[in-house]
Amino acid sequence: MRECLSIHVGQAGIQIGDACWELYCLEHGIQPDGVVLDSQHNQLENAKTEHTNASFDTFFRETRAGKYVPRALFMDLEPTVIDGIRTGQRRSLFHPEQLLSGKEDAASNYARGRYSVGSEVIDLVLERTRKLAEQCGELQGFLIFRSFGGGTGSGFTSLLMERLTGEYSKKTKLEFSVYPAPRVSTAVVEPYNSVLTTHSTTEHADCTFMVDNEAVYDICHHKLGVERPSYANINRLMVQAVSSITASLRFEGPLNVDLIEFQTNLVPYPRIHFPITTFAPIVSADKAYHERFSVSDITTACFESSNQLVKCDPRLGKYMACCLLYRGDVVPREANAAIAAMKARHSVQFVDWCPTGFKVGINNRPPTVMPGGDLAKAHQALCMLSNTTAIMQAWARLDHKFDLMYSKRAFLHWYIREGMEEAEFLEAREDLAALETDYEEAGQSF
Amino acid sequence: MSDTLTLDVIGRRVEVNGEHATVRFAGVVPPVAGPWLGVEWDNPERGKHDGSHEGTVYFKCRHPTGGSFIRPKKVNFGIDFLTAVKNRYVLEDELQEDGKEQTVTIGNKPVETIGFDSIMKQQSQLSKLQEVSLRNCAVSCAGEKGGVAEACPNIRNVDLSKNLLSSWDEVMRIADQLRHLEVLNLSENKLKFPSGSAPLTGTFSALKVLVLNRTGITWAEVLRCAAGCPGLEELYLESNQIFISERPTDVLQTIKLLDLSSNQLIDENQLFLIAHLPRLEQLILSDIGISSIHFPDAGIGCKTSMFPSLQYLVVNDNQISQWSFFNELDKLPSLRALSCLRNPLTKDDKDTQTTRQLIIAKIGQLKTLNKCEILPEERWGAELDYRRAFGNEWKKAGGHQDLDKNRLSEEFLAAHPRYQFLCLKYGAPEDGELKRQPLMLKNQLLTLKIKYPHQLDQKVLEKQLPGSMTIQKVKGLLSRLLKVPVSDLLLSYESPEKPGREIELENDLKSLQFYSVENGDCLLVRW
Repeated sequence: MRECLSIHVGQAGIQIGDACWELYCLEHGIQPDGVVLDSQHNQLENAKTEHTNASFDTFFRETRAGKYVPRALFMDLEPTVIDGIRTGQRRSLFHPEQLLSGKEDAASNYARGRYSVGSEVIDLVLERTRKLAEQCGELQGFLIFRSFGGGTGSGFTSLLMERLTGEYSKKTKLEFSVYPAPRVSTAVVEPYNSVLTTHSTTEHADCTFMVDNEAVYDICHHKLGVERPSYANINRLMVQAVSSITASLRFEGPLNVDLIEFQTNLVPYPRIHFPITTFAPIVSADKAYHERFSVSDITTACFESSNQLVKCDPRLGKYMACCLLYRGDVVPREANAAIAAMKARHSVQFVDWCPTGFKVGINNRPPTVMPGGDLAKAHQALCMLSNTTAIMQAWARLDHKFDLMYSKRAFLHWYIREGMEEAEFLEAREDLAALETDYEEAGQSF
Repeated sequence: MSDTLTLDVIGRRVEVNGEHATVRFAGVVPPVAGPWLGVEWDNPERGKHDGSHEGTVYFKCRHPTGGSFIRPKKVNFGIDFLTAVKNRYVLEDELQEDGKEQTVTIGNKPVETIGFDSIMKQQSQLSKLQEVSLRNCAVSCAGEKGGVAEACPNIRNVDLSKNLLSSWDEVMRIADQLRHLEVLNLSENKLKFPSGSAPLTGTFSALKVLVLNRTGITWAEVLRCAAGCPGLEELYLESNQIFISERPTDVLQTIKLLDLSSNQLIDENQLFLIAHLPRLEQLILSDIGISSIHFPDAGIGCKTSMFPSLQYLVVNDNQISQWSFFNELDKLPSLRALSCLRNPLTKDDKDTQTTRQLIIAKIGQLKTLNKCEILPEERWGAELDYRRAFGNEWKKAGGHQDLDKNRLSEEFLAAHPRYQFLCLKYGAPEDGELKRQPLMLKNQLLTLKIKYPHQLDQKVLEKQLPGSMTIQKVKGLLSRLLKVPVSDLLLSYESPEKPGREIELENDLKSLQFYSVENGDCLLVRW
């Protein structure tokens, strides 16, 4: 009974969370009000696992009334987005205490999220977290969903992560972070927020899975035939990746991978913990059954940059570790054959000090697609998490933008006004420069 | 495969080194001794000839290089369904495990059983299988009667694409043993389909989804197969060179989704034959080369009785180049979503925004276009834009502000069937809206006369001023001109259209536009 607590911070975190719990409910047959359909009960009886309820338990808590309540906390410093959940389809799924909102938002300002406005709300958030943690038999860890660029997502999360380390030092903390898109920007000060939050969160997070809106936007536009992808389309795709990552925690499978195993296999050094996520197959619902992808097809597709959920070119870097999470009708023999074929290809370069580098997980439950969504249902799917030095490009881009603004001290007064000092900016920037150097060193040959 | 060839081998599907073929001949080919099989390859360029050798025709092929003669030993006739399932799903480790010894007593002697555990595990594994994928596993037959039903009866979803099944009858033998089968994928199998109506046996009673892409099936064969699937909801027939030849009367009545993509022989007239399927909600017609569509039973602005339940239509990758296509789509009573990417009309990248707006305005009840939701504001904007864009044409065609006096030409009504409705919804377009002057600064300047009622000896000036200029600035300009302090100036204006009526310009912060000062008006300055 290794429970996981999901914490969704800021607009991005909350909207992804909404899509996420919608998908989980579909996968487990839970209706929007938390009740399991009767037909699903029968399926549970016939399912091949003995611990049928254990699969729910990691993410859902069963109340005495027979309802399943997600083990999640949604918080934001202003009420609009959370009100969307409070009045939305899944309003009866969550307990009101799980949906926390403040009155004054962070205004895309890290300093407000971290120091002024955030500090007023942190204690309440921690209290609720404690309550949720007490309901767990054996809490495995936390999954934090947030964006780098927003005020709450950057500032408040830094504060939260610090305090969580203080209170729950032994528990794993995984992050799903929305990295600022290279060409599509929603806030001018995103680089500041991103650099500051990365500096303060790196030592507290065990692994950070990055996704960026632009990569997902391009996938939706080119592969799924969506003319102008909205956040709804983008989030639905992102949560397929999230679902694959957490599938082994929610369902039994022949080769299961749990949270600690991710870290052990993906993170070679404590600071090098930013894997990129790739997903395959990505087929439009209008083209369902037109092309059949074998296990080796989807494995090859995951090494192509067009299926990546973050914009960066892996051919310019070296792989340090790869975690392949197969879902659906995949037999271990096929998975091994596909991986052996990939290893033989010269385009996939691994660092010298990590010759094997692959961790494989298989979960037999096929991926579920949202009805009326853009993705076609697939028999087999693969979510690949790869730790590659190419992610350095993403950091370099961010650092460059930071430098441009900081050299003129532009927009700085908004942060100083809330009680921050310039020194913190310098410290953060140096930390990121050191991170870039770390990646470079990791990628070097003996 | 034994050397003895019987004639029933003809028509069988076989595999040789990854290439699939159909057996067309079995026998001797002089002068070389020994039995030979004559095969027609799926890939028309794989073979060496067209079935004839040294002048004698042994079998016929469709292509001059479509056939070959092969020794029977080299040919893979495939395996049965159950063997394929076992090959894929039974973990090899299980078979090698030294079974735990269990003691069972028979009489008073203990009996050692070795390996029973692993066999039982195997069997229980197979019986739990619900979703099975046997793509490209060389399945050619059902195998021993009842074998499948005993070992894996709970299969609900099976992918048998790209196998060696040679006839629909063989498929039925497999499906007969899978009473819970809901999804069956038979793509890329060149099956021999039933030629006459088959007796209904309840084989496919639970089947909901049937995928027959790239099987070479014809429409008549589709109807015969579908006759045995009373509950069929989704039917996929991509890339089959289908020509819809008859109207389905008792079959396909439960179908909700029909995929006819990449069947280039389909044209709009054939669509009438499937227009009365009562439950059809999704119709996928990508890449069929269609360029127009007509619903002759409905006049302009009316709804058709065809495709009564159709909610989502996909016409990507076609040849649509006329706006009349979308005018016709407005006649569909239930249409809520449309995808029409990559058509000549919609391909011009510069105008995707305009194209989208026009489509939204032409199809009134559309809620989703190209997988993007149409929000109420977007529809409002698109419809207003449409009304304004074609306003001049409307007037020329006999449109009138007073809708009772409207006498629109047939041509206009055919090209813009929703225009009348838009006039009712938003009001008929006014002349002011329709005047279109290019947005240059000189068009926004007002030519004004400036008179001084108290100083009759001053010349009347004519000046061009922008309408957005504030009264304060006008006063400033006049003050410099007349050498009079700004605070002493009092401005008003009169319009030649309404002589005698003077309007004071008292608020310094407001603009000339605010006071509706127009071209040709006269400013009166007093101090």
